[in-house]
Amino acid sequence: MQYFVQLLISGLAIGAIYGLIAMGFAVIYKSTGLVNFAQGEMTMIVAYIAWTVSTTVSGNIFVVSLAAILAAVVLGLVIERVVMRPMLGEPVFATVMVTIGLAVILRSSINFIWDAYPHGLDVGVGRGIVRVGGIGVRTGQIAVITTLLLLLAAIWAFFRYSKTGVAMRAVAADDRTALLMGISATKVHALAWAASSVIAGIGGVFFALSYDLSPAMFQLGLKAFPATILGGLDAVIGSGVGGLLIGLTENLAGGYISSGMKEVAGFAMIIVVLMIRPFGLFGERDIERV
Amino acid sequence: MLTADRENTADAAATPGHAPLLEFRNVRIVYDNAIEAIRDVSIAVPEGGIVALLGSNGAGKSTLLKAMSGILYTEEGEIESGAIRFQNEDVHHLPPDVLVRRGLVQVPEGRRVFPALTIDENLQMGGYTRTAAEARERRDKVFALFPRLFERRDQIAGYMSGGEQQMLAIGRALMTDPVLLALDEPSLGLAPLIIDRIYEVILRLRDEMKMTVLLVEQNAQRALDIADYGYILETGRVVLDGTAGKLTANEDVQEFYLGISATGRKSLREVKHYKRRKRWLS
Repeated sequence: MQYFVQLLISGLAIGAIYGLIAMGFAVIYKSTGLVNFAQGEMTMIVAYIAWTVSTTVSGNIFVVSLAAILAAVVLGLVIERVVMRPMLGEPVFATVMVTIGLAVILRSSINFIWDAYPHGLDVGVGRGIVRVGGIGVRTGQIAVITTLLLLLAAIWAFFRYSKTGVAMRAVAADDRTALLMGISATKVHALAWAASSVIAGIGGVFFALSYDLSPAMFQLGLKAFPATILGGLDAVIGSGVGGLLIGLTENLAGGYISSGMKEVAGFAMIIVVLMIRPFGLFGERDIERV
Repeated sequence: MLTADRENTADAAATPGHAPLLEFRNVRIVYDNAIEAIRDVSIAVPEGGIVALLGSNGAGKSTLLKAMSGILYTEEGEIESGAIRFQNEDVHHLPPDVLVRRGLVQVPEGRRVFPALTIDENLQMGGYTRTAAEARERRDKVFALFPRLFERRDQIAGYMSGGEQQMLAIGRALMTDPVLLALDEPSLGLAPLIIDRIYEVILRLRDEMKMTVLLVEQNAQRALDIADYGYILETGRVVLDGTAGKLTANEDVQEFYLGISATGRKSLREVKHYKRRKRWLS
């Protein structure tokens, strides 16, 4: 039982990181109709910037968090403005190829700007262990799960109740009609890129806190993308939950069956789920009657 | 001859001393730098009037409305020459959100409600450019005009009937607080009774809400019934214009747009021959 709970918690913790990055995918898809294949790389860049701040400016957790969020906003806005906006109105396939190209550039930039060695992000918290009834939980794990849940609630409320959130859904559904209502699609897109970059960046920083930084970190994007598909590409909340499910499945399969199953289990579950619900667990079915 | 029927647009539509509220001045629109969709079209919409823009499929009616709203660029279209003037200012270079703020608004063809949003959220998007207080006030007006929308306000728009969607599309456009409202084929695909209801509302927009209306229709009979003035567009050119009464009385309009014929039914071959003779086919 203790072993099970331990697996459950560490599964949820890594799942929460997948979930955060998956939400990054979903926010961009929901408002621009694009799959951003550079999501994992953006996550990695934000984590590296957080590490740089922690080693050069201050290791204070608040300073590092604030710097990481600011850096993520800027990164998202710059990519939207410089790379994505000129592609507005071009075929989706071409635009997706651009995000793949961007991914490769960002990935190699780690080696140019930083180096190829692993680093530990240390802000003085997150590695302590809390014992509850014989089960050891790292504070970083508790923090990442809590953060994910809080963000899920905040984003749900944002899309449901705020005018900007509804406008993002409107632009996603029909950007030309949104223009006719005076909604500026470019502003909505810029906001989506910034928000996506921040949400995924938070995931990246948590990953760096619990594990370490390395140029291979972009692979988190490859883990998180299936979580988005599982939850539904257009479902931000669903993607967060999808991340948790994949983290749990991976960890339980790895713990009970064999460690080799860890990599496979998540994908096996996705195949089964997509066969039953092709639009994902929480994805919106297209409304046929228009 | 048709050309003889054409009046000087600016003189005919504008009240003396006043420029029309909206004016297309010798507009030429080209798609993809190559395909000419609109050739030298001049249209005037006087304040407080209902102007009908008639023509068959592909005549360029919707293209003109897209130019008016500044969204031609989304399909590689461009105003190559000429001007669109609104409230005595050139507006054809302005971005769509600025045009909406100024009160130049259209209800797009095919209604285009946001299907996954609720009725209330659709209306909220119409009021996007307005403050929360203004939007609340506008929403009450829209609900007064369409009580049906109020009853169903929390439902998903995509599941509504065509008539209800048209009401929502008009209501959503009214949320922007338009000065001039253009409606692109509001009768498209609707039952005659529903069309009656929509046209009643269009009249109320002008009479009660003091709006100017540009009505784009294939359904010439309906449109000329309520319009003051009409233009007939064929393959990107205005071939005929005049007061609604005059257009209704015109033999060619009766023949091709109203389906009335003095000599009984004609075969398609005869119609084509006639059109060619009249140089309506180019």
